[in-house]
Amino acid sequence: SLRRCLISVDMRLIEKSFHEIKRALQNKDTFQNVTILSTLQSLKTIKPIDVCCVTKNLLTFYKDRVFKDHQELSPQILRNISNIANSFLYMQRALQQCQGQRWCQCSQEAINATRIVHDNYNQLEVRSAALKSLGELDIFLAWIDKNHQETSA
Amino acid sequence: PDGVVVLPAPQNLSIQSANMKHLLTWSPVIMPGETVFYSVEYQGEYESLYTSHIWIPSSWCSPTKGPECDVTDDITATVPYNLRVRATLGSQTSAWSTLEHPFNRNSTVLTPPRMEVTKDGLHLVIELEDLGPHFEFLVVYWREEPGAKEHVKVMTGGLPVHLETMEPGAMYCVKAEALVKAIGKHSAFNQAECVEVQGESLPL
Repeated sequence: SLRRCLISVDMRLIEKSFHEIKRALQNKDTFQNVTILSTLQSLKTIKPIDVCCVTKNLLTFYKDRVFKDHQELSPQILRNISNIANSFLYMQRALQQCQGQRWCQCSQEAINATRIVHDNYNQLEVRSAALKSLGELDIFLAWIDKNHQETSA
Repeated sequence: PDGVVVLPAPQNLSIQSANMKHLLTWSPVIMPGETVFYSVEYQGEYESLYTSHIWIPSSWCSPTKGPECDVTDDITATVPYNLRVRATLGSQTSAWSTLEHPFNRNSTVLTPPRMEVTKDGLHLVIELEDLGPHFEFLVVYWREEPGAKEHVKVMTGGLPVHLETMEPGAMYCVKAEALVKAIGKHSAFNQAECVEVQGESLPL
């Protein structure tokens, strides 16, 4: 199962890093009634076959957009974000090596789910969107935890 | 301007890593009669690839007095990290010195674990050293007899664990290795330790 792909990833340390900065991030988020990862909460019906693709796409979303767009002055928050960003970099490589040639086929549903996230992101000014996405990391981390336990490749 | 001493940058940066503890060291900058401080910063592979202007102050050494820094709490993912150090004296700061090769924690040296094997009555008990959150231990134990069958357990360190209820008159042996899933590596096995329970061996 995909579980073995991420066997060397310590999700608890990533979650710890996030929870140390969650309140600070969410307090700075001025768009409380808007969400970017809303689609993840409605992805209850995602098929196991799509878990890899959605995971890969959302790791890329955070890697290529969120962590880049966010500007942080606090060394403590910077450290925690750096830990998460570098862990995501490692996770993506671990997934890619593990999947080999079958690297994450993507169904239309999985593509649509990722597009909704990007569309939500584009609705906001980039700094606000990055801040909100960081504040919603717990949604993504919970989704990874849940979906990388039960799925079978 | 003439006569102003330029603060030299620290030299000979190197990193020693054992059992997932990572220590950055460098040659001290000597300024007679003065106390020189140092600041350490790091950059994970993510920063060097995507936000290369960003360097992050080390958790414990920004600033520090000694010519060394425990960067264990900074190196938190299994990717290459750049590390740099500069000296500070009053308002003067030196240039940065950067570690020649990026450091990846998967190069840490894993040593065979220290363990204590004891008997509590008929109970075979083991306690392994607590090496921190990354560590598990693979413990192999057997009854010393022809055709002995090995038993295996995976456990964490720091607490005594009951392995087996022994039979009087028999000898039992134990060995262990350290496992670190985060880097996908394990240590060598340590030296096996054996204990014997006095008394008559029960007839089969």
